[in-house]
Amino acid sequence: MSDVRHDDLLLVDHIHTYIGQFHILEGVSVRVPKGSITVLLGRNGAGKTTTLKSIIGLTPPREGKIIFDGMEIQGKRPYNIANLGIGYVPEHRAIFRQLSVLENLKLAERKKGDFERSSDFIFKLFPDLKRLYKLPGNHLSGGQQQMLAVARALVPENKLLLIDEPSEGLAPILIQQMMEAIETLSRTTTVLLVEQNFIMASQLAKQFTIIDDGKSVSSGLMKDLVLQPEVIHRYLGASIKTRIELEMEHESKE
Amino acid sequence: MNRKNKRILQTILIVVVALGIIVGLYLYAGQRAFVSTIFSGLTLGSLFFLVAAGLTLIFGLMDVLNFAHGSMFMLGAYIGWQFYTNPTFIFGIAPLALAFGTGVMFISVLKPYLVAWNLSPRMQKLLPTIAYILAAVVIVFAVLGFDILALADTAMVAMTTTTVGNPLAEISPQEPLEEFWVRPVLIMLGGLLIAFGSSKPGDKTQYAPKENLGKAILVPAILLVLTVVSVFIRESAPVSVLLMNGNIRFLLSILVSVAFGFVFGAVIEIILIRPLYARPTFIILMTLGLSYVIRELVQFLWDPLTYQMARPPLFAMPGKAASIGEWLRNGNSTIDILGVTVPTYRLFIIALGIIMFALVTLLMTKTRLGMIIRAGVQDPEMVEAMGINVKSVFTLVFALGVALATLGGIGAAPFLPVQPLMGDAYQTQGLITVVIGGMGSYVGAFVGAMILGIARAFGDYFALKLSLSPAIAEASTVIIMVIVLLTKPQGLFGKKE
Repeated sequence: MSDVRHDDLLLVDHIHTYIGQFHILEGVSVRVPKGSITVLLGRNGAGKTTTLKSIIGLTPPREGKIIFDGMEIQGKRPYNIANLGIGYVPEHRAIFRQLSVLENLKLAERKKGDFERSSDFIFKLFPDLKRLYKLPGNHLSGGQQQMLAVARALVPENKLLLIDEPSEGLAPILIQQMMEAIETLSRTTTVLLVEQNFIMASQLAKQFTIIDDGKSVSSGLMKDLVLQPEVIHRYLGASIKTRIELEMEHESKE
Repeated sequence: MNRKNKRILQTILIVVVALGIIVGLYLYAGQRAFVSTIFSGLTLGSLFFLVAAGLTLIFGLMDVLNFAHGSMFMLGAYIGWQFYTNPTFIFGIAPLALAFGTGVMFISVLKPYLVAWNLSPRMQKLLPTIAYILAAVVIVFAVLGFDILALADTAMVAMTTTTVGNPLAEISPQEPLEEFWVRPVLIMLGGLLIAFGSSKPGDKTQYAPKENLGKAILVPAILLVLTVVSVFIRESAPVSVLLMNGNIRFLLSILVSVAFGFVFGAVIEIILIRPLYARPTFIILMTLGLSYVIRELVQFLWDPLTYQMARPPLFAMPGKAASIGEWLRNGNSTIDILGVTVPTYRLFIIALGIIMFALVTLLMTKTRLGMIIRAGVQDPEMVEAMGINVKSVFTLVFALGVALATLGGIGAAPFLPVQPLMGDAYQTQGLITVVIGGMGSYVGAFVGAMILGIARAFGDYFALKLSLSPAIAEASTVIIMVIVLLTKPQGLFGKKE
């Protein structure tokens, strides 16, 4: 696992991450080839979000290596890592609620003119945002906030996008729209996705890595994984079930 | 909907009560006493705002309660007073400070080249350490034998500015240039070494594009020129400054004081506060300790005495002006407003407070920095993950906050006795203002400061009129704080957590 293949954009190599005194990641390895979507699967609390945060540098790993675009980036400051060309979309729609939609997008600029360059693409992907761009973030609905969070990562030129649970808490119709958006943007940018919704993940991603209890336990091509129901059930069973149940509840309410 | 109604009701209630209090005070005190008390209240409020604005910005963004803010206010008053009364001290140490700054600022030029070096990880760690140690040694040698006390004493000598010729008499504590030039050169070398160490040589992941080198060289180049100039004008400049028009000299001392506060704040943040962000209680203790250090330093340099800074000529001529035009022409010390005699310098302080509030508002709403600050108040981690160096934003905000405090200090210097404890009362009132206005809200700081200032002024008025203890005036601000905390625990403009 430790060798970098020529088409790897990102290689996470046996990282150990602590949050406070808790040993959260106990050897996670992820390989992200250039030009496609890779998904991190696993139960709640398995360490998927911490893996993304370790890559961007918010929870720097104590051991192991992270190699991005041929450079070791573990232990660097997050702004340094981001400026190498990594966009991060955190979970729970962490947009800036006191800032307007436009300000949220403007803030994401790394160079002057980033927003002018990318605004057409962003508004084509999320037409809602154009209509709302003067509103403060806390006036947006959950789905709109999630779209803004993704849009924000598209403002600067990024080589890699880390997207954490884009479908979390969205209504089914919005999940569909989000999926299409991620599909579109993955044509130009490599994506590392964390997704609980297995149906969505299996349709989008080319590669997968399963994280269980802080360790990466399995990885490979998505098309092979869907043929292994016993692996799916063993590591993801509970979460898939609850997800489907939740969606059914959601639909019955509407 | 219910919550919104409740909020509207609450606001109406507050406005009605406030109006009631104002009308009651007006009827009780009568027009003259009312207007004059309001003016002294607004003056105090402006000074409170200048202290509280920095406190609240710093607290809002980085959760740091700066207990040295009052001392920085006091330091601003001393620096401004020194420059206004006799700038020998400022011009004497300026070459050294500028030389150091020049050296350090060359980092923006060095960094793109240094990070591209091929160094082993061991050397990447070792080289900066060596550079820092060398820098310390060089700087110690540079300042060895520099008589700072004699320089500081100059403000007490020859204060008459009316004499034509050299108002500094024959006293010149300056070293001759042929001995002095070594010091700035060595200090600049020390600064360069620090720049070398902190640009992380060999670390290829550092973001340091070479394209904007033209822009990067601008600041160090300007500083270099300033350093050279300051070395040569160090002896002649104080005299020329003293012969200047007093108003311009006062304006210059305000600028010097603000610039000093900005640089001082940046240095304090980088050296003392930055290593402690993970331990908030340590920061509180550290700033508390810092306030004592600053006070002792001031007493060491200028003795624990009380000085009175002369008012600039625009506010100095005895006699009352009938209109603003007449005041601006003659420079009267008081002015007639609605039949009440108001000292003109108070109007200046009030204007200063309002202008600074307007500038802070512009900064927060219209600039990218303001955008970053507002975003950082909510989620600094996410701001950093978007590629913005939050640490340097922290430094900038801390520096701005301290600059506001030193501006308050020099603004207050012709109005208050200049002494080592002058900032303490403002520190306390500033903290109360921040609590009333809501932690992190600059609008709250302004409104809170004005309420407190007026309450304080009326407290003084009642204490005098009803012959109560003057402590009642100080208590009035605390009483207001208690009432606000009981009704709106997050402060008037605070956001609910």
